[in-house]
Amino acid sequence: MPSPQSPPAGDRQVGADITHQHGTRTTLTITVCHACSARWFPPREVCSTCASDDVENIESEPQGVVYASTVVRVAPPGFQAPFVLAYIDISGVRVLAHSPSSDQALTPDTPVRLTVAPIARTAEGQLVSYAVEPLDGRDDTTTPTTGETR
Amino acid sequence: MKPVYVAGAAVHPFGKQPGLNAAELGYRAVRQLVEQTGITPDAVDVGYGGSSYGGSLLTQRVLQRVGVSGPPVYTVENACASGASAVHLGWQAVASGAADCVIAFGAENLSSFGGGTLPLTTNDIEIEQGMVMPAAYAMRAQRYLHDFGATADDLTAVSVKNRRNGAQNPRAHFQREISPQDVADSRAIADPLRLLHCCPNSDGAAAVLLCSEDFARQLDTPRVRVRGSVVRSGTFHTQFRDMTWPDITARTAKAAYEMAGLAPADLDLVELHDAFSIAELLHAEALGIAERGKAHQAVRNGEFDRDGRVAVSPSGGLISRGHPVGATGATQICEAYWQLTGQAGPLQVPGASVALTHVTGGGIFGVDNGACAMHILTAD
Repeated sequence: MPSPQSPPAGDRQVGADITHQHGTRTTLTITVCHACSARWFPPREVCSTCASDDVENIESEPQGVVYASTVVRVAPPGFQAPFVLAYIDISGVRVLAHSPSSDQALTPDTPVRLTVAPIARTAEGQLVSYAVEPLDGRDDTTTPTTGETR
Repeated sequence: MKPVYVAGAAVHPFGKQPGLNAAELGYRAVRQLVEQTGITPDAVDVGYGGSSYGGSLLTQRVLQRVGVSGPPVYTVENACASGASAVHLGWQAVASGAADCVIAFGAENLSSFGGGTLPLTTNDIEIEQGMVMPAAYAMRAQRYLHDFGATADDLTAVSVKNRRNGAQNPRAHFQREISPQDVADSRAIADPLRLLHCCPNSDGAAAVLLCSEDFARQLDTPRVRVRGSVVRSGTFHTQFRDMTWPDITARTAKAAYEMAGLAPADLDLVELHDAFSIAELLHAEALGIAERGKAHQAVRNGEFDRDGRVAVSPSGGLISRGHPVGATGATQICEAYWQLTGQAGPLQVPGASVALTHVTGGGIFGVDNGACAMHILTAD
């Protein structure tokens, strides 16, 4: 995997070591268990379903689909309301991420792409993280769908 | 297993009580319990106290003030299920024959955190993204509305019912009815949830006396039988999850019904963990008292009213009674005790003989909830 990019001085990046940027294409590290086929995000050294250490880290697809979303209007310490959160189903795992380009909750089943973006302001700079943005209608890549639930 | 009884219940009323720490609140509930049951300190074989933020050795700090020092006591932390987990451990002690008399309580002071959303102190990948409990329930709500054709008005109907129930409960944090318009006018918290779809952060405490049949006979207090007592943890995974079906509640309920030899149709009342109004819909379905995707219709039709098919949160629920995290599970059992012994006053569900109490909570990533505790109680 290519090494993650460092954010500018003063900024802090959440999940920097598990986020990968290839030009405009962003992916996440996920873990696949070869013993039971469970998938994990964030990655794990041992499968938390079957405790096997026969696990492998792979890169996710760059796109996923919204399971559910909300606009948080009462921010916890360190964040500035309002901000949009969404659960994204991507490559067999569910990931919670901001959608910084949105001002309302994303409708379930909306296709999204992974990005890296500021999600909060801090005293020193910005808090940066993997995030998502809705795909525009012209995108001709295959739209993933939510699969079987566990 | 030996039969286990609840033979006393006491609540220190819920509300904003910033001057009273968890130990002081717990003491006030336990002192009432000791006075009402007439037990002597030496009769207590073991004590359990539930609290999420009450600090080290809370149970010692509470029970030693009423003369219970020397026997084993434990402080139990299981997030919102802390108080009910304490009761469950007390049930285990009596059911196994290890104890004849147990005090179990829950106590919490949340005012010390100030306003806003409850602090999530277990830093994880979702909390780093700014996750708060209202956001988690808001997303469950969005998906439920999307999947089952319900509307925000259906969420509001839960708040209106539970505030109506709690308006007559002298132990409740909020004792005033609200209208749908009040909910619509309240501040947006996390779409589609507004302030009046959310339970308040409260301070309070509740305590119960658990005992064997022989011990119960020596007391002058009414008793109810504990037919089922079950605790489960969340199933941890990060794959796709149906967030409209709280699996932890369904698994806990299945075990509790089996233990009790009872079914959802047998219940006269349920004290349910409505931390947010959407939670009543999700958990009612997982408890089997409403069909999948139809709990919102049951609320609309009055089936969960105090005089309905099965009364859901006749004491007002968390939305009205308030939610001092660790005290909630214990207070539900107190409310059920009063219902089943005909002492519930204006809250009384006519002819109540079977009650279920349900708490589930804990905002950690990868699970529905961290812990769920359930009790099924019957009139003796």
